[in-house]
Amino acid sequence: MPDQKIIKMKIDGREVQVPQGTLVIEATRRLGTEVPSFCYYPGLSLQAACRMCLVEVEKAPKLQTACTLIATEGMIVRTDTEQVRQARKYMLEFLLTNHPLDCPVCDKGGECELQDMVFRYGADSSRFVEEKIHRPEEKWSELVYYDAPRCILCFRCVRVCDEGMDVKALGVGMRGANSVIIPNREDHLECEECGMCIDICPVGALTSGTYRYKTRPWEMQYVSTVCAHCSNGCKTTLSVRNHEILRANNRDLSGINQDFLCVKGRFGFDFTSHPERLRQPLLRKGEKLFPVSWDEVAQAAAKKFKAAYDAGGKDAIGFIGSNRTSNEENYLLQLLARATFGTNNIDHHRSADYTGLITALGERAADSLLTMEQLYQSKAVLLIGNDPTNQNPLVAWQIRSGIRHFGTKLFLINANEIKLKRKAQQFVKIATGQEAAILKWLAHEEGQLDPVLVEQLVQLKAGLETASDIAVVFGAEVSGAAIAALVAFGSKLPGKARYMALGDYANSRGAADMGLLPDRFPGYEYVEDGGAREAFERLWGAVLPSKPGMSAPQMVGAAQAGKLKALYVVGANPLAHFGTLGFGRGKLELLIVHEMFLTETAKVADIVFPAASAYEKDGTVTNTSGEIQLLRKGAEVMGPRSDLDLLRILSHQLEKLGLGKAFHDKTPAAVFEEIRKAVPAYNVPIAGLLTGGAEATRVQIARNSHAPYDVPAGLIRSANDTLFTSGTLGRFCTMMESLPEAET
Amino acid sequence: MELSPKLSARFEKLQSSYPVKRSALIPMMMYAQDEYGYVSDEMIAELGRRLDLNNVQIEETLAYYSMLRRKPMGRYHMQVCTNVACMLKGGYEVLDRAKKRLEIGHKETTQDGMFSLEEVECIGACTGAPAMQVNYDFCENLTALKFDRIIEDLDAGRQPAPEPVTSGALHDRHWAETPLISRRWGMKDSHKLDVYVMQGGYQALEKALKEMTPESIIEEVKKSNLRGRGGAGFPTGMKWSFVPKDSPKAKYVICNADESEPGTCKDRPLMEMDPHQLIEGMVIAGRAIHSHQGFIYIRGEYRYVLDIVDAAIAEAYAAGYLGKNIRGTGFDFDLLIHTGAGAYECGEESALMESLEGKRGYPRIKPPFPAVVGLYGCPTIINNVETLSAVPSIIREGGEAYANRGTPKNGGTRLLCISGHVNKPGIYEVPLGMNMKKFLYEVAGGIPDGKKLKAVIPGGSSCPLLAADEIDIPMDYDSVAKAGSMLGSGGMVVMDEDTCMVDMARRIMHFYAHESCGWCIPCREGTAWLRKILERFHAGLGREEDIDMIGDLAKNMLGRTFCPLGDAAAMPTISIMKKWRGEFEEHLKGRCPYKSAEALVGSR
Repeated sequence: MPDQKIIKMKIDGREVQVPQGTLVIEATRRLGTEVPSFCYYPGLSLQAACRMCLVEVEKAPKLQTACTLIATEGMIVRTDTEQVRQARKYMLEFLLTNHPLDCPVCDKGGECELQDMVFRYGADSSRFVEEKIHRPEEKWSELVYYDAPRCILCFRCVRVCDEGMDVKALGVGMRGANSVIIPNREDHLECEECGMCIDICPVGALTSGTYRYKTRPWEMQYVSTVCAHCSNGCKTTLSVRNHEILRANNRDLSGINQDFLCVKGRFGFDFTSHPERLRQPLLRKGEKLFPVSWDEVAQAAAKKFKAAYDAGGKDAIGFIGSNRTSNEENYLLQLLARATFGTNNIDHHRSADYTGLITALGERAADSLLTMEQLYQSKAVLLIGNDPTNQNPLVAWQIRSGIRHFGTKLFLINANEIKLKRKAQQFVKIATGQEAAILKWLAHEEGQLDPVLVEQLVQLKAGLETASDIAVVFGAEVSGAAIAALVAFGSKLPGKARYMALGDYANSRGAADMGLLPDRFPGYEYVEDGGAREAFERLWGAVLPSKPGMSAPQMVGAAQAGKLKALYVVGANPLAHFGTLGFGRGKLELLIVHEMFLTETAKVADIVFPAASAYEKDGTVTNTSGEIQLLRKGAEVMGPRSDLDLLRILSHQLEKLGLGKAFHDKTPAAVFEEIRKAVPAYNVPIAGLLTGGAEATRVQIARNSHAPYDVPAGLIRSANDTLFTSGTLGRFCTMMESLPEAET
Repeated sequence: MELSPKLSARFEKLQSSYPVKRSALIPMMMYAQDEYGYVSDEMIAELGRRLDLNNVQIEETLAYYSMLRRKPMGRYHMQVCTNVACMLKGGYEVLDRAKKRLEIGHKETTQDGMFSLEEVECIGACTGAPAMQVNYDFCENLTALKFDRIIEDLDAGRQPAPEPVTSGALHDRHWAETPLISRRWGMKDSHKLDVYVMQGGYQALEKALKEMTPESIIEEVKKSNLRGRGGAGFPTGMKWSFVPKDSPKAKYVICNADESEPGTCKDRPLMEMDPHQLIEGMVIAGRAIHSHQGFIYIRGEYRYVLDIVDAAIAEAYAAGYLGKNIRGTGFDFDLLIHTGAGAYECGEESALMESLEGKRGYPRIKPPFPAVVGLYGCPTIINNVETLSAVPSIIREGGEAYANRGTPKNGGTRLLCISGHVNKPGIYEVPLGMNMKKFLYEVAGGIPDGKKLKAVIPGGSSCPLLAADEIDIPMDYDSVAKAGSMLGSGGMVVMDEDTCMVDMARRIMHFYAHESCGWCIPCREGTAWLRKILERFHAGLGREEDIDMIGDLAKNMLGRTFCPLGDAAAMPTISIMKKWRGEFEEHLKGRCPYKSAEALVGSR
């Protein structure tokens, strides 16, 4: 916060300077002094309930709770006196009276805050000889179990569910020593199943249905990577034993999401070991796909591909990439299309118009793209379309946190009464598909709108005009020319407007950034732009096509009409989304697919390569706000190969047949080095990534003489996933399928 | 769900009575329970719809309050008090009789659904101990025989007449008494407006509104040396002066009528016999701090008192002492009475505000104090019934005259409720600073049967106990503090030489363990642990090391809990351990030297 007064105080004889308003417990942490606490949790409301953080303050007659005491100039605090030590010891003794002392069989053993505190501050024996209060354990949902005797009533779970999630599914029942946490449906939970309550529980009171009693914390390795599901890019730490993922959380509070994870990030990893997972390459022989050796399939793929190219030429070949493969894989795929086959027939399932946003911002993009942190800190948020609670849970969390911590004002324009409405300063309800017209009116006061609506928009405008910075966030409902109108409106506001487009999947943004687009090179440079083309030709040592290619729907249409002979699909299911549905592969002569499961597209393919998931590979991904993070290999699954390996294998086979050059970069890191050269915005400091952080890419393109940008209706389309669906991955998540909430 | 017209009208009124809708939740649950016997799933859904609350918000609030329940009880719910005052006068004998007669235990219902039984904490009938409530009706001065007669009457369809007024409130005045705020007690229809006005009522309000400024009202109260009568004894005028004058927020006056400190039953007669005096005091307080809305938070058990005060409020509105433009002065003040639902903790000012907001009665972090951030986050003053009832006298006779009734720094008169082993249990109004021994032996008639005094709880069970040789002191805040205890709430409980102090310690801790809200660890776990040790000890299963441990645990609670409830549990315990340690040592021999142990072993 700007211009904060700094005050000086003394803690255990050491001077410390902290901004005015700092809590004493935070001041002690600055010095590296631990003042123990259970109920204090940064970001949640204060409680002073556990009394563990009692400290001596000069001139105060009684011990004070460091978690509620605000540091003042000249304050003298002592955290390590006999009185303080004695108070902690007896507080723990009180706490243990009704707490079972069965750490060896408790699921939390080894990572329990109570265990640690007793070890550090507690007594070595107990004076309690009475009967403990006992209650049976309760199963609240497939994912959440509650064991009341272990509960120390720190109320973190209740607060995170209410304040953090705005779900309010937990409460406190009974009174006094009989107090318990209660779920919202008498004996079970009906909620977003985010598992935040389990994660935040300091003891073994709330345990996870997918993890409990499977292992001990010290038997696992911890791999921090990026969630494989939505586009928000939450860091998730995989707890892995024997190459198998047993749990996911983000207890080290690193990354853009701190400890936040939704149901998918926390529990949605069991697709990796789904029984229908493809583990061998498949080759079509007649009506059926047969498992074959890697040698056979690699040669067959190259041979058939070369034949298709020789027969139909480069315009008869198309590539559809993925929005969940890594940047490196996406980069190589477009390299295969453009450099090896000389075609711009490359695209992916576009769920947000990143191209439109970057184009509309032009040179301004570098400082006008909104990061997740900036979203949290914004004075005002304008959200158009989308339902972040379901589709972009971290975005919703950031917005709610901003409202709670900084009083951010939220303005919504939406055709549906989404859950965030409860937190909104103003909600403007519009008709489905009316977004473009609304934005046109906001930007230029053009067009005919209902007077009631106009009145609301005038009010909205006035509200936004009072904020010094505005986060403008929009879903797939806003694309093409509508984004230009939105940016025009934003630039007229007195405050600084920054923008974020909301896509669907883990690397939706990276797919666009890496040029899985028929008209753009990596970094959104136009393929028709001679200068840009020359630069890439030099870098790649190949002649590149200058004519924009076909979009994904066009490719599927062309395939079905017989104009496209061969289609190469990586981690996508275009036959389920584009073209005439039910028409299948149409007249395609060759269909090659990289996939984890036999999707509608894979089922009708000639060759299916078993692909590794994001949790089984290294690399980088870029979230919807353009922040790069490292993927780290957590699980090891027998059979599948990373798409990077698959593309490399193919490139070598093609080279042998005289087509293009083999890819010699053996590792994702090496490919990323090349990306840093090809796309200046990706030339980010590496140190930040290596330490588990995110680095914002600042993609920008120069304005040029191109015609105004717009996209055909339907090209940008969100799958409108819920908290319990996640495209193909979600369909093969046993855990998510098992939740009753998923059905609604 | 389909509601009766009466309940539906009640709901509509409650829903629109508060600045924030949720505040209506607890009263709505109470009235719903009155009609249906419990709060059903359908009722919770109905309340959720009406108040925009979800299930868990309602369930967790309900679960906090001991009067609210999710399952039906008997048609007649017999609530027998066994807290200190009642225990000393045979409360347990009544409870045992009830168990035998009804053949049910604590919180059980007879098979025909006619009766249910509950051992309850202090119901505010200490001067009529032992006492119980049949639903909302008070039955006082009970014996096993009298209990049987009540059951027989109810069985026969005859409704026994409830007590006309709090037992012990009306008695022949002793010459040393100086009735001021209790002076209208016993007059016919003293709770009615015309009687109150005839007796000089509402003159102080006219004076305050027409001749005084808010500042001069506060000044007068400061001059009176009036100190809070709820227990803590904070100077009232100073409390009022903390309200920020320039705050643009609404300001509130709350009357704390959640009288539940064991041994205390003075606010009950003040409200039942002189509600207008309280109303007048509240309007004056409202004027002093620029407030236009007052609330009386009355404990749920005092339903009949609530009805009396509610009728008085209606009279006051009709006569223009409440509402818009009071007595033509342009000053507006609205007043609402709000029922609690059984929670001692809600007598703590910030917990009371949480409760008044329709939530669990958890205390709040202080600072900020209520004068700055109180009800609904607005500046609020909260005072006890007796404190606010003294305000009209102060304004009428002047602060100085009022102060002169007591001792320096301890202005005015004080209502004392004396109960337990005393010849004339009752509620007496005496000057602050009267000698305690003199009060006990002369005003209250001394100990029955010529027995010797063993101990005194000077002001409610939260106070350290005084031994017989420690009571020759003036009863003002400072002198009692000097003697190592507190004047507290004025609830004085007397114990004769045959009282088992181990049992007393046990019963006191039983209360605090029952009433601990569960918010903070030392109080939640400490009271529960101490209760278990003391029960075991009194049952003859004590160990030598327990004696030191009891005192040690109490000391580890003292000053370290979130709110004063932990201190309230620790202080009497520490004093008993210190002063009557010998009795604990005697218990180590395996039995209680006093008769109460025989009744105890095996039965509870």
